[in-house]
Amino acid sequence: MSKQPIVTLRNLSKAFQEGRQRRLVLSGVTATFQAGEFIVLLGRSGSGKSTLLNLISGIEVPDAGEIVVDGVNVTRLRDQERTLFRRDRTGFVFQFFNLIPTLTVLENITLPQELAGRDRRRVEEGAMALLAEVGLADRRDAFPDRLSGGEQQRVAIARALAHDPLLVLADEPTGNLDEETGAAVLQLLLKMTRRAGKTLLMATHSPEVVPYADAVFHIQDGLLVPDGVPAIHAANGQAGQPIPSGQPA
Amino acid sequence: MATAPTRTLPLFRTGWRRLRRRPLQYVLFVLGVALGVAMMVSIDLASGSARRAFQLSTDTIAGKTTHRLLGGATGVSQAFYVQLRRELGYERAAPIVEGIVTAPAVGEQALRLVGVDPFAEPPFRDYLNADDGALSLAPFLTEPNAVILSAEMAERVGLAPGDDLALIFAGERIPARVVGLIQTEDEITRRGLDNLLFTDIGHAQAIFRQPGTLSYIDLIADDEADLAPIRAILPAGVRLETAEARGNAVQQMANAFELNLTAMSLLALVVGMFLIYNTVTFSVVQRRSLFGVLRALGVTARQLGLLILAEAAFLGAIGASLGVGLGVVLGQGMVRLVTQTINDLYFVVNVQQVTVPAATLIRGLVIGIGAAVVASLPPALEAARTAPASGLRRSTLESKARRLLPWLIVAWLGLSAFGALLLWLPGVSLLITFTGLFAVLIAFALLTPPITLWLMERLAPVGGRFLGPLGRLAPRDISRSLSRTSVAIAALMTAVSVIIGVSIMIGSFRGTVETWLAATLRADLYISPPAASATRVEGTIRDDIVAEVAAWPGVTEAVTARNVSVLAPAFGREVDLLAVSGDIARDNRPYLWAEDDGRRLWSRLLAGEGVIISEPLLNREGLDLPPAPITLMTPDGPRAFPVLAVFYDYASDQGTIWMGSERYRALWNDEAISTIAAFVTPDTDVDETARAMQAAFAGRQELSVSSNRGLRNASLDLFDRTFAVTAALQLLATVVAFIGVLSALLSLQLERERELGVLRATGMTLSQLWRLTLLETGLMGALAGLLAMPTGYVLAWILIYVINVRSFGWTLQMRLEPGTFAQAFLVALAAALLAGIYPSLRLGRTVIATAIRQE
Repeated sequence: MSKQPIVTLRNLSKAFQEGRQRRLVLSGVTATFQAGEFIVLLGRSGSGKSTLLNLISGIEVPDAGEIVVDGVNVTRLRDQERTLFRRDRTGFVFQFFNLIPTLTVLENITLPQELAGRDRRRVEEGAMALLAEVGLADRRDAFPDRLSGGEQQRVAIARALAHDPLLVLADEPTGNLDEETGAAVLQLLLKMTRRAGKTLLMATHSPEVVPYADAVFHIQDGLLVPDGVPAIHAANGQAGQPIPSGQPA
Repeated sequence: MATAPTRTLPLFRTGWRRLRRRPLQYVLFVLGVALGVAMMVSIDLASGSARRAFQLSTDTIAGKTTHRLLGGATGVSQAFYVQLRRELGYERAAPIVEGIVTAPAVGEQALRLVGVDPFAEPPFRDYLNADDGALSLAPFLTEPNAVILSAEMAERVGLAPGDDLALIFAGERIPARVVGLIQTEDEITRRGLDNLLFTDIGHAQAIFRQPGTLSYIDLIADDEADLAPIRAILPAGVRLETAEARGNAVQQMANAFELNLTAMSLLALVVGMFLIYNTVTFSVVQRRSLFGVLRALGVTARQLGLLILAEAAFLGAIGASLGVGLGVVLGQGMVRLVTQTINDLYFVVNVQQVTVPAATLIRGLVIGIGAAVVASLPPALEAARTAPASGLRRSTLESKARRLLPWLIVAWLGLSAFGALLLWLPGVSLLITFTGLFAVLIAFALLTPPITLWLMERLAPVGGRFLGPLGRLAPRDISRSLSRTSVAIAALMTAVSVIIGVSIMIGSFRGTVETWLAATLRADLYISPPAASATRVEGTIRDDIVAEVAAWPGVTEAVTARNVSVLAPAFGREVDLLAVSGDIARDNRPYLWAEDDGRRLWSRLLAGEGVIISEPLLNREGLDLPPAPITLMTPDGPRAFPVLAVFYDYASDQGTIWMGSERYRALWNDEAISTIAAFVTPDTDVDETARAMQAAFAGRQELSVSSNRGLRNASLDLFDRTFAVTAALQLLATVVAFIGVLSALLSLQLERERELGVLRATGMTLSQLWRLTLLETGLMGALAGLLAMPTGYVLAWILIYVINVRSFGWTLQMRLEPGTFAQAFLVALAAALLAGIYPSLRLGRTVIATAIRQE
């Protein structure tokens, strides 16, 4: 199967004003990510990983350059259009889970679709299937503050996939979890995105996930540098295997 | 272990930096305190200035007088003065005749004209005895119509010695000439002399049409022994009082009115305290992690608590200082409204300048800072309890708030019962009654959090069903931040309930007065001398005019009345006595009680079998029903009059006694007539007759001739004027509540910046964000509006049936207009929605990436 490019970045630049200084985070980034792949963005804290995810999802706007996602030039969209693009085409998994504390587990998952005005019953059916998949079907009516960190992140994964997005963006999804839980969450995320055939773009500073990625990029000095195919893929002859260890968190 | 010294300065540095980073929050805090203090100070200044102006004027007239001899309805006989000097040889006695006049040359203001005897004056009033030749009372002896006034006042109104001016009393123009100016170095005397005119006593007697009688006799007595011979020959109907007693008695009339204003002015501060509590709680919760770290670094609990209180005191001081300044400015406008009402209802006073006593300013500062510190105590204690490192979690605060809910219901019950007890206690001071009112009001505010939680928990599923996720989110957000949302709702609810309560009270009052006017004013024409005061008649109508009105073509009956003040020894004060020749209500007057169910009431009254008294007199003096006979001081000594009925009366809160004219004339030997009410034949044109009468009397006496409609309208105008201050205070309380809601919403939305950032990141559009914010604020406003309805009703009930009766003695018929409730509900909703606009705008501009990065 020939791979289709799903995200194309052309000469992308982004700088932030910090006091009197202007800090260049991304400088002329050009790259292409293929559909259905697990892409890892590696870099130290503050290197611009999160900024790149924000730019792709339309949360932030670049200073220069273009972002094309599935044929849509995100940089040319207006604020309202970017919001709708984000709501319909992307799913986001945050480091700090970012569940809405006043909504139940089920309501958190159905939120993006309900905001889009979809029928609640049908949306709930899909959400329940996902909840079962992440092993939290019995917690559908619980509020986030009753869940552990790992459980919260599992809900966040279900939320990110519930509306069948093209692209799942994960910003340090295990950064706030202990090692064991983190591994389990990662496994779940990979399993679910793979099964759904989604593209997963993950920003992380931890190199442990690299062996399981289809493509790895380093963000360094504002540039995105491709890292080639990881060694484990060459050995197994197949890309993107789930991480073998870890239990559901 | 020895306690190590602790330094608090670094802590204050953190406080100061926070203040600079979030100025808007603190600007609203300062504004809340400032407006609350400003209202209080302005009312204090206005009432105080009126009081001081009256006091200064009274003291200045009194001079060195220690005692005063006063008569009843018709004053003190001049013959008694002569007897005092000649028979007793009492030299230190001075006769005075005084009254209120106006002078077109000086403007509309009322002037107090004081007639003095130049020969008797020297020991009494120093300023009339200047020995530098600039002034002498000698021209009083040679120049007819001579008047003198203070140099300052002459300069202000553009008068100089030799100038002529016309004085008007009871519609008659009296020529006068300025023959001298009073120069005095003493500032207090100079201010006291403002609006005073002095003339010869004979001239004053002619002007006030009281030949042979004096208003009073001033005395200087060293001790009681000096007075003993005078007491021995004191004629019946004449009493001896200390010089201050009279002024005090007059001023006491306005006490209830002033206390009501002060209580109203305090309302804004009470509402402001909710705002302060909210802002400080927010500032503590926002810094929960900082406080945790500080505690871990060795900052003591006491230091943290003190930091919060010091911040509140600092901001309170800024707010109170601004409030005092604003209060002084507002006071200038307020003094006009307050003195207008005092003039209309109680006594004539002119306030040329608003005096700003240090005590008022200090009181404003202390109460402003005190309110800020008291309202900050709970959050300060919360901050002090912060555990090291962990900090005060928002959820911890919320769960604490939720644990408090059952206690709030208990407190509501307790405080309501306490308030009800204070309101029920008979015979307590007005201050205690107002404490009861505030207790009930605060009790309702305490009930707001449990009701908010109960209602929002039930609204969320319903909202979700009809409005989708926004309908679910909004009520849940409100209940999740209950510790803050419920305070904002309570503040708005309190302000709006005051609007409802006061509006119902004013509406009921106006309605009652309208019905009462319609029932009691049945005559077609009302003739009276124009007066400086709207509710009291000064002067009399010329005899020839009285006769002319009675014989006027078309007039079927002319009912006359004579207005005087007589001493009621049992009450220790003078009461208004109205001697009437008939009933202008034609038996339509409503009575609270009447002997024999009012059968033959008026024929018995006119036959002199007794008197009828007004409801305010009954309430004010705590008389039983049916009342025992009332004793009045007549020229022949005290005399008891059976009470035949008690009538409703809204013209005076001091109480009035009506007596048949024949009986009055026989006892007081006074034939004068103060007012006439005329009934005309059905085919008579009332307006035309009024104009014709005015034209016919012109030149002799400028009388006010009003038609029935004209008088009713004038009465209602007076009513509206009286409540202008109340309306202004009500508006300010709402402004403070609005600031409170704005501040609370701003705090809440800022606190939820991250959560809303996530919502935006997961696809919430800007318009959905707006809808969510406005739905939340709208829900809070609507709830405040709903809760304000029963609270406002209870407030109105207390104002009408307790406060009004105790303050003024009036029974009002409560009138509930659905419009009042609807209007108040809309005010609450609009205030909350308006307050939601700024946070929505701000959130719309929030950078999503920044919001979701926050931790």
